[in-house]
Amino acid sequence: MTSRLKRKLADIGIDPSSAKANENFCLIGTPLPPLEKSKDTGEFVPLWKQEVRDEKGRRRLHGAFTGGFSAGYFNTVGSKEGWAPSTFVSSRNDRAKQKASRPEDFMDEEDLQELKDSRTIVDTTEEMDLTGGTKAELQRQGDTEDKDTLTSALEAAMLPPAKDSAGARILKKMGWRIGQGIGPRVTIRQRRLQDAQATGQNISADALDLGIDDEEAQKHTYAPRDTAVLLVERKDNFHGLGYRPGMSLNESLGVKGSNASTGLNISAGFGLGALNDADEDDLEVYDTSSSIRNRTAYDIADRDDNDRIAIGSKSNRGTGGSIRSTPSATFRDGTMVLDGFVLSDKPVAEDRWFPLPEIPQGWAPDPRRVWGQTQNDKENLKTDTAVVPHEKWKSGMSADERGTILGETPLPSAPKSVFDYMSQKDRERLKNITANLASGKAGATTPTPPTPSAPSIQIPRTDPHIASAALRGFQPFTNDPVKQGRYTAYLQSQAEPDNTSYSTSLKPLPNQSTIDFNKEMVEYFQSAQIFKPMSVAMAGRFTTAAVVEHGPQMHAGLHTPKEEEQEAKRQEEEKKREEDKLSPKEHAAKMGMYGPMTREVKPWQPARLLCKRFGVKDPNPMPEMSEDGPPSGSANASQADDTNTDVYGQASEAPGVFEAPAPTTSSSGAGKRDLANIGLGEDDTQGRDTLTYERPPVDVFKAIFASDDEDSDEEEAPEPPEPPEPTTVVAPGSSSASKTQAVPSKSEF
Amino acid sequence: MAPSRGPQRLARTLHTTLANHKGPVNVARYSKGNATYVLTGGQDRSVRLWNANLGTEIKAFTAHGYEVLSISVSHDNAKFASSGGDRSVFVWDVTTGMTTRRLAGHMGKIHVVEFNEDASVLASGSFDTTVRLWDLRAQSRSPIQALEEARDAVHTIHIGSTTIMTGSVDGHVRIYDLRKGELRSDYIGHPITAIVPTQDLQTVLVTTLDSHIRLIDLTSGKLLNDFTGHKNTSYRIRGCFEHGEASVVCGDEDGKVWAWDLVDAGLLQPNPPPKVHEKVITWTEHHPSDPNEMITASADGTCKVWRQPK
Repeated sequence: MTSRLKRKLADIGIDPSSAKANENFCLIGTPLPPLEKSKDTGEFVPLWKQEVRDEKGRRRLHGAFTGGFSAGYFNTVGSKEGWAPSTFVSSRNDRAKQKASRPEDFMDEEDLQELKDSRTIVDTTEEMDLTGGTKAELQRQGDTEDKDTLTSALEAAMLPPAKDSAGARILKKMGWRIGQGIGPRVTIRQRRLQDAQATGQNISADALDLGIDDEEAQKHTYAPRDTAVLLVERKDNFHGLGYRPGMSLNESLGVKGSNASTGLNISAGFGLGALNDADEDDLEVYDTSSSIRNRTAYDIADRDDNDRIAIGSKSNRGTGGSIRSTPSATFRDGTMVLDGFVLSDKPVAEDRWFPLPEIPQGWAPDPRRVWGQTQNDKENLKTDTAVVPHEKWKSGMSADERGTILGETPLPSAPKSVFDYMSQKDRERLKNITANLASGKAGATTPTPPTPSAPSIQIPRTDPHIASAALRGFQPFTNDPVKQGRYTAYLQSQAEPDNTSYSTSLKPLPNQSTIDFNKEMVEYFQSAQIFKPMSVAMAGRFTTAAVVEHGPQMHAGLHTPKEEEQEAKRQEEEKKREEDKLSPKEHAAKMGMYGPMTREVKPWQPARLLCKRFGVKDPNPMPEMSEDGPPSGSANASQADDTNTDVYGQASEAPGVFEAPAPTTSSSGAGKRDLANIGLGEDDTQGRDTLTYERPPVDVFKAIFASDDEDSDEEEAPEPPEPPEPTTVVAPGSSSASKTQAVPSKSEF
Repeated sequence: MAPSRGPQRLARTLHTTLANHKGPVNVARYSKGNATYVLTGGQDRSVRLWNANLGTEIKAFTAHGYEVLSISVSHDNAKFASSGGDRSVFVWDVTTGMTTRRLAGHMGKIHVVEFNEDASVLASGSFDTTVRLWDLRAQSRSPIQALEEARDAVHTIHIGSTTIMTGSVDGHVRIYDLRKGELRSDYIGHPITAIVPTQDLQTVLVTTLDSHIRLIDLTSGKLLNDFTGHKNTSYRIRGCFEHGEASVVCGDEDGKVWAWDLVDAGLLQPNPPPKVHEKVITWTEHHPSDPNEMITASADGTCKVWRQPK
């Protein structure tokens, strides 16, 4: 009894040591399940009967043998047969009834539950009933009122649960009804005024009062008229502003005024916004009798509250908001103003123009005066700017000024000049020094602007001897002749500062700014410093190159090869290619010198099968064959072949004659055998091979004859070949030649 | 073979015209053995078998989808191979007129097919620059070997008993020597359209597109003779030896048949030769055994059998 069985029996409750249990080693049948519940309910159920169920008790895992197609039914689809192909039903007659399948159709209950869970929040907000309130309220109503079923059914049919927002519900609780305006109740007069405004009629106060004869009506207050919701039309086409479909060209250009006025009602999307107050003047000026206006509640003159919320029933919507239009407005040049736009009274922006100050006669600009002035009150300026620096930049009041006006204490960290920290004495001393300096300068030279606002021409000085040396030395700008000319002019002007003719020629180019010119001059100055020739002692050591190297000229931008350049390059390439092509071999062929020059000999390995088909021994057999094989060693064979080229030639002169490679080294020291004697009586070695022949090992034959992909080769099965002649002459065309030719002969050493 | 007894008169009398082809005739081959039959292949996608003596068409072999460019007849006349634009070699059974094999593997049109001596191997040279050697004994579909040395289209092949000679447009004559295991390539320098070796395999006649026919010594690669005078610059024209190999015969692009003495390369009479075909002569082949007969195929759609006047 195995331990497993023992344990099982013990589990079941059978005493394994009892005589009953030990009676037989074989347990026939399946033991009954235990009376008490064990953990594994399927313990005694054979595997093929066991079922896997999920936590809800549904059967899962319908195996291929037990379930098969019904797996679909048990898990997903609704019929025991699984997916039954639905019978064809023609939908020709009821195409309209074709229902698009919803995602829910493909969901199982878990998915549906998920969907429902995710929807709950939305549902509480959405499914609101204005009339009845929420479902709970309905429930409560049902509880209280106890409607009979017919009534409730009718109610449900006629008043479908409306969906309204919480705000609407609150309003309703405050007494608002659908169709009423919002706001405190008004008198009948006010209400009529509203009506009149809404219909666009101009009703005088008298008319309003006239209508109010009903005493009873005046006793009550009324809910205000509903405010029409401004419906701004969405512009979802690509027409220009003011254009409506079907408009003729003239209309769109606004030529016909009358036609243009018909567009008023349509282009209701523009005009006064919901929060813009329309004043009466505008209305009276532009309103035409034909225009239909929806006056709204907030046009009431005697209303001062700003409650502008409009909640309208759906029927009220779409009537359009209040539009003020200017049908007859034209621009100054006569073109019509677009519908919905208002011609502004005021121009958009007015440029301010000031007349030029009158220039006194005989006035000539003299900048020196200004400069002198600035020099004179330099100190004042300095102190001023130090304290309030931005006063200079900004017109108008500065923050500091404002601060003083407002009585603020100035900021302690205001930057101060160095002069502030100086004693009065020192300051005066400094002033004197600077004044002396300025006066001295003024006496010596013409007053030059210390900080010229516009860049002036500055030509750096070069020592005349350096300049003249540089003139003789290396010329750095040979690539650019114009620049070189200017460089030379600069050097000349520096070399002979007295000669003004050079310096006058040194002017900025017409399209060159002064800054660029200055830069250029600095460049010249530097190059003169660099390229001045070495001193005589140094110069003696070198000789100047005779050829000036013209470096490759750099061009800005993309490189576009020129036509002639390309042509030259191509020709050069062609020439080169031709030269390359004309190898000695080709050259020889061109000259007609065919022969060794045009011949190339390369080793070539024919496939073994090919050799076999042609009845030729493999010229380069596998190395393992050459070990014990007869003179088929590759080196040996090839050597023999090489030395015997002419021999082959001779032998094959007879047409169609073919012979096997002759092992030349076979006869011991007898030298080459005379081919003419072979096989004839004079051949004293005749038959020697035959006599001394030893059969080569079988694997040699196998290697030669046995082919792996050979199927029709019975005649070439390895058979002990007859001892061959040293050379075998076979008539052409005989297919059996291959047999004898391929047999190697045994050499004697 | 008959020994050379100096140049004979060329067979210039028209015996019969084989004119059933619809387009140019690209190739005309004698059958083996007595060579009483002629096989022609043409641009009209057919191979036709003729009785050269009677001038009657015996059979038309139509399986090619493109033009037929080359024909090779096996040694026992039982089968022949043809190739052309449809990139596979067709091996036909002559009696049934059906293809027994279609050897596919080339990437381009196949310009030439040749059997070896016992028709166990078939060589095909193609525009794809390769020469493929097919085993006809085994049923394998892949070639035994592919010779890929050529750098341009292979236009002509000759298979000797132990050598395979190919001529390519790259200007090389390549001799694959199976016994030596070496490849000798002779550079001619011009596109080679035909090579015809002499029967002793010592020399080879090389037709090139520079209007030259050269006789090349195969052992050394030297030029033995140069035959000129005809015009051959753009078509494959196959020249041949006259019977006895005493003279060289070749057509040209004007429809004339030229003949030269083999030894002194002088043009044989008549000089210039008369125009015998309307268009380019694509193939000349001399009867293998009858010294008095030769055939010419031309792009004018005819193949003509020429004989010596009796």
